[in-house]
Amino acid sequence: MTINRREFIKANAIAAAAAVAGVSVPAVASNLITSSDITKLKWDKAPCRFCGTGCSVNVGVMDGKVVATHGDIKSPVNKGLNCVKGYFLSKIMYGKDRLTTPLLRMTDGKYDKEGEFTPISWDQAFNVMAEKAKDALKKDGPEALGMFGSGQWTVQEGYAAVKLMKAGFRTNNIDPNARHCMASAVGGFMRTFGIDEPMGCYDDLEAADAFVLWGSNMAEMHPILWTRLTDRRLSAPHVKVAVLSTFEHRSFDLADNGMIFTPQTDLAILNFIANYIIKTDRVNKDFVSKHTNFRLGETDIGYGLRPEHPLEQAAKNNGKTAGSSTPIDFDEYAKFVSTYTVEYVAKLSGVPEHKLEALAELYADPKIKVTSFWTMGFNQHTRGVWANNLVYNIHLLTGKISTPGNSPFSLTGQPSACGTAREVGTFSHRLPADMVVKNPKHRAIAEKIWDLPEGTVPPKPGYHAALQNRMLKDGKLNFYWVQCNNNMQAAANINEEGYPGYRNPKNFIVVSDPYPTVTAQAADLILPTAMWVEKEGVYGNAERRTQSWYQMVEAPTGAKSDLWQLVEFSKRFKVEDVWPEELIAKKPEVRGKTLFDVLYKDSSVGKFSLDEVPEDRLNDDARDFGFYIQKGLFEEYATFGRGHAHDLAPYDRYHKERGLRWPVVNGKETKWRFKEGSDPYVKPGSGWDFYGKKDGRAIIFALPYEPAAESPDEEYDLWLSTGRVLEHWHSGSMTQRVPELYKAMPDALVYMHPDDAKKRGMRRGDLVKLISRRGEVQTRVETRGRNKPPIGLVFMPWFDASRLVNKVTLDATDPLSKQTDFKKCAIKIVKV
Amino acid sequence: MKNIFLIGWRTLTKPSGYYSLGALVIGGFIAGIIFWGGFNTALEVTNTEAFCISCHEMENNVYEEMKTTIHFSNRSGVRATCPDCHVPHKWTDKIARKMQASKEVWGMIFGTINTREKFLVHRKRLAQNEWDRLKANDSLECRNCHNFDYMDFTEQSERASYQHSTALAAGEKTCIDCHKGIAHQLPDMKGVEGW
Amino acid sequence: MKKFNLAVIASLLVLTVSPMMYSLNANAADKETVNTVATLRDHTPINVQKEPNAIPQVINKDIKQGRNYPMQPPVIPHTTRSYEVNKNNNKCMSCHSRHRTEKSQAPMVSVTHYMDRDGNFLADVSPRRYFCNQCHVTQLDAEPLVENTFTDMHSLMKKKAVTSEKH
Repeated sequence: MTINRREFIKANAIAAAAAVAGVSVPAVASNLITSSDITKLKWDKAPCRFCGTGCSVNVGVMDGKVVATHGDIKSPVNKGLNCVKGYFLSKIMYGKDRLTTPLLRMTDGKYDKEGEFTPISWDQAFNVMAEKAKDALKKDGPEALGMFGSGQWTVQEGYAAVKLMKAGFRTNNIDPNARHCMASAVGGFMRTFGIDEPMGCYDDLEAADAFVLWGSNMAEMHPILWTRLTDRRLSAPHVKVAVLSTFEHRSFDLADNGMIFTPQTDLAILNFIANYIIKTDRVNKDFVSKHTNFRLGETDIGYGLRPEHPLEQAAKNNGKTAGSSTPIDFDEYAKFVSTYTVEYVAKLSGVPEHKLEALAELYADPKIKVTSFWTMGFNQHTRGVWANNLVYNIHLLTGKISTPGNSPFSLTGQPSACGTAREVGTFSHRLPADMVVKNPKHRAIAEKIWDLPEGTVPPKPGYHAALQNRMLKDGKLNFYWVQCNNNMQAAANINEEGYPGYRNPKNFIVVSDPYPTVTAQAADLILPTAMWVEKEGVYGNAERRTQSWYQMVEAPTGAKSDLWQLVEFSKRFKVEDVWPEELIAKKPEVRGKTLFDVLYKDSSVGKFSLDEVPEDRLNDDARDFGFYIQKGLFEEYATFGRGHAHDLAPYDRYHKERGLRWPVVNGKETKWRFKEGSDPYVKPGSGWDFYGKKDGRAIIFALPYEPAAESPDEEYDLWLSTGRVLEHWHSGSMTQRVPELYKAMPDALVYMHPDDAKKRGMRRGDLVKLISRRGEVQTRVETRGRNKPPIGLVFMPWFDASRLVNKVTLDATDPLSKQTDFKKCAIKIVKV
Repeated sequence: MKNIFLIGWRTLTKPSGYYSLGALVIGGFIAGIIFWGGFNTALEVTNTEAFCISCHEMENNVYEEMKTTIHFSNRSGVRATCPDCHVPHKWTDKIARKMQASKEVWGMIFGTINTREKFLVHRKRLAQNEWDRLKANDSLECRNCHNFDYMDFTEQSERASYQHSTALAAGEKTCIDCHKGIAHQLPDMKGVEGW
Repeated sequence: MKKFNLAVIASLLVLTVSPMMYSLNANAADKETVNTVATLRDHTPINVQKEPNAIPQVINKDIKQGRNYPMQPPVIPHTTRSYEVNKNNNKCMSCHSRHRTEKSQAPMVSVTHYMDRDGNFLADVSPRRYFCNQCHVTQLDAEPLVENTFTDMHSLMKKKAVTSEKH
């Protein structure tokens, strides 16, 4: 008898396992299957903690610990599937370095900016925070206070934070990390449609005949949506997939038409498609004449850098007029795009003419239902709002919008970028339900719902993300609280604009996080934070789906949710501490009360009693505050949108559903907005109604190609693009602590073309330095990884806390959306 | 016209009136060497990678794809070049292959695969040619380097040693049966055995 | 002569070891002086960078790894370099599909992979499961930076079984 090696190993492994089992397992445990009381798991639903896809997962709990997770079979989003990150959700809360006590930089028992992190109590932590906040308020007023929040906050946390900052402390210096992620999409929606968020939904994935990916690597960044796209492409042979990117990545594996373009030239390609549609006479004239207006946008708007930067000095229209536009007619628009011929654009972009034409044909052919997807390629772009406007142009010219399969679809990166950052309006210029602080009517609405005197909410937009870092450095922002994100690692230009501000002796920096992140390392006070199913919350995904979950396990002792931290902190301030006398005089009954009373307990937030919290459910936050705070916050927030095309269902219903897509009117969710028959807000008989604009018409914008802020030159001879990878989510603070995910992708490498490496005398594995005008980072060369850049461009992901690629990137932003362009800067690479 | 041909024919068939037989033989021999040497040199030039990738069809498609594979970059730096795998080493086979290659020259001149898309359309057929050749000659060009007799199975991964010690050893399978796509991307594999 | 050689060797030893000792000491001192929260940065301050380690090798031992819970997708115990999974072909399936496992002796993809979105079984692997690498990943030979204290439900059950036996 021969036994092969495989069998031999197998036999040995079984023997070894049996030997171990024989030693340590008691007899009764060897047949656990028969004892159902012991094997029983408590299952409950929760949205995934990671990306904006918004998969629902089932979470299995035993003895107070999450022991298993799997894709929720009942969820229409993922139908039982998860990506590799989602499958490992069970382990994200159990990194050994979970923070369980506040840590303050101290020397000899006293706070010292240069001191060592020292464990203190929550009481001490809030004392020092309140003292620092009050000092800053007294010295420089509300503008010296700021907060950086997140699209990973729950809806309730975001709402509580907005209320605390904008009404309590009366500063608009609150911005979410969604500024780095979705701001250009928001700008695009508001400019073209006057209302935020996609008109379509994921059902488009099963209805489209063609998909076009614009700067989106869905295969890695939205894997579950990619499974649905793959399903469609491989099940229906007529379906075509076009993928555009500045380098080849995994989404090209399914591409029928894969296109690598020179960075920034996507703007020209978009205008070429519009020109092609017009030249081949395939404009949907009926749709265009009834439902659109044409406008010519302002150009030469700068790059969102500091005003003294030479690029800003050179830009003509980077002031208040940057977002302005003037009406034009169709012929003027046609003339405007006519210069974007296939020859010109092929030369500019490097994409062959026949490929450009094949792409344009997908949009032009009236028989093809086409869905466009985009993410950071468009949004992290110094002309990101333009790119969004331009893709809407081609859907509007052809009328391919708001019907199943015809969908310009902006994907989101965070689990609640839509739900929390955008819908709640945690931006420095926004209020809930698409309202803005600049508009006195909007402020009045907010003040009425909040039952606060007129003039409480300040009218001036606050510091946005990039500006917050600049103001910290300049010493204008002195009390700064970072929650639920890792901005030291995530924001561009760490050396010049990130780190100096955090370590500026004038400033006091508080960072709330479950784990010690790079941002925590740069802080003065670190607050240990409860995460995900250690608290109750609501997330909103990219297709307007609002999903809730219950608290399922206790947080580690000492760790508290962001919500608890915000609300508990508000108890430290009397109204007199933060409001001027004339404002208090308008509502004298608030005198002597704390912000906790005024903003939460005594407002409509406090009106739901603990009796409404299901008895068998954990809810540490509600039981601590003495009322069902999550429900109160949600219901008060929902009043902003109800009746205004942002309708949310009653809170309790979300606990029963696998999410609902707003507007939820008469108990029914909305799949396609702006289309008669599927959106209850559309005027009957209109067909389509873009009701975000007063005249119901969406805008087609004439906007040109303009070059990037920084392009390669003789010295800095390579484009650098940064981004993510499948196995890690964002900065890796959760996924790097899951051993299987860490071992799948432990380090951030620089992906480069083998010829680029050879030209520099480098090979795979070489230790190199990426150097820009701002800084340098060391890593190893990868010439045969999953990303295949063309000659002249390199890619390095940013998840790696030990290799901070944002020391190299440029903090240029879209002047309209203020979103940073992480995809383009010039670097050189040298061997170490 | 006919006259010219006749004159030429007579010159060739008539015995030489000017040169000695010895001179003719030696001269012929030297000319032969020069001719043969030149022919072989030219032939060998066509057997270099530089020659292969002087056509952009080769450089932009198959050669570009190869750069990330194990036959291009690996632990010991022993690299396979195009002719190592695609040109038979035995002279007669080589000449036969070169005659076939005239079709490729034709293809180049007329731009049969002068874009990536056109290349991809033909890829299945082109790959099938190579698979057929390697199947027929028992993966001879693989075995020129990877000699079965000298494989150390204990240095291979478990999967590899299992397959090599069974299917390959028994002659049931030849290298190309399992290692399709080892150096270049694959065409649509529908209907290909083992996929 | 012998003595001289020994002396040379000894001095060489001292010369090579002493910088090592020095650097070890320096590292230990650094860890104390810089803040200790930088667990993913090996306690390196933000404005400096530790030299990046070499690219680790993919673990290629073909030994199955245990799963943390039944629904966890198994990790891949072998290299997948140059394995194409694209619209033309799926290299993984040439070993792991139902009709190939007898020859390959590789584990067959689980039956869930034959189900469509609505839970109906298909004749072959569902297109929605086509890209294996969205759930299944290889493992590199890298030591995790931070330990994970996740509890296997089996250890909880064993504990309970023991207690219930005692009662």
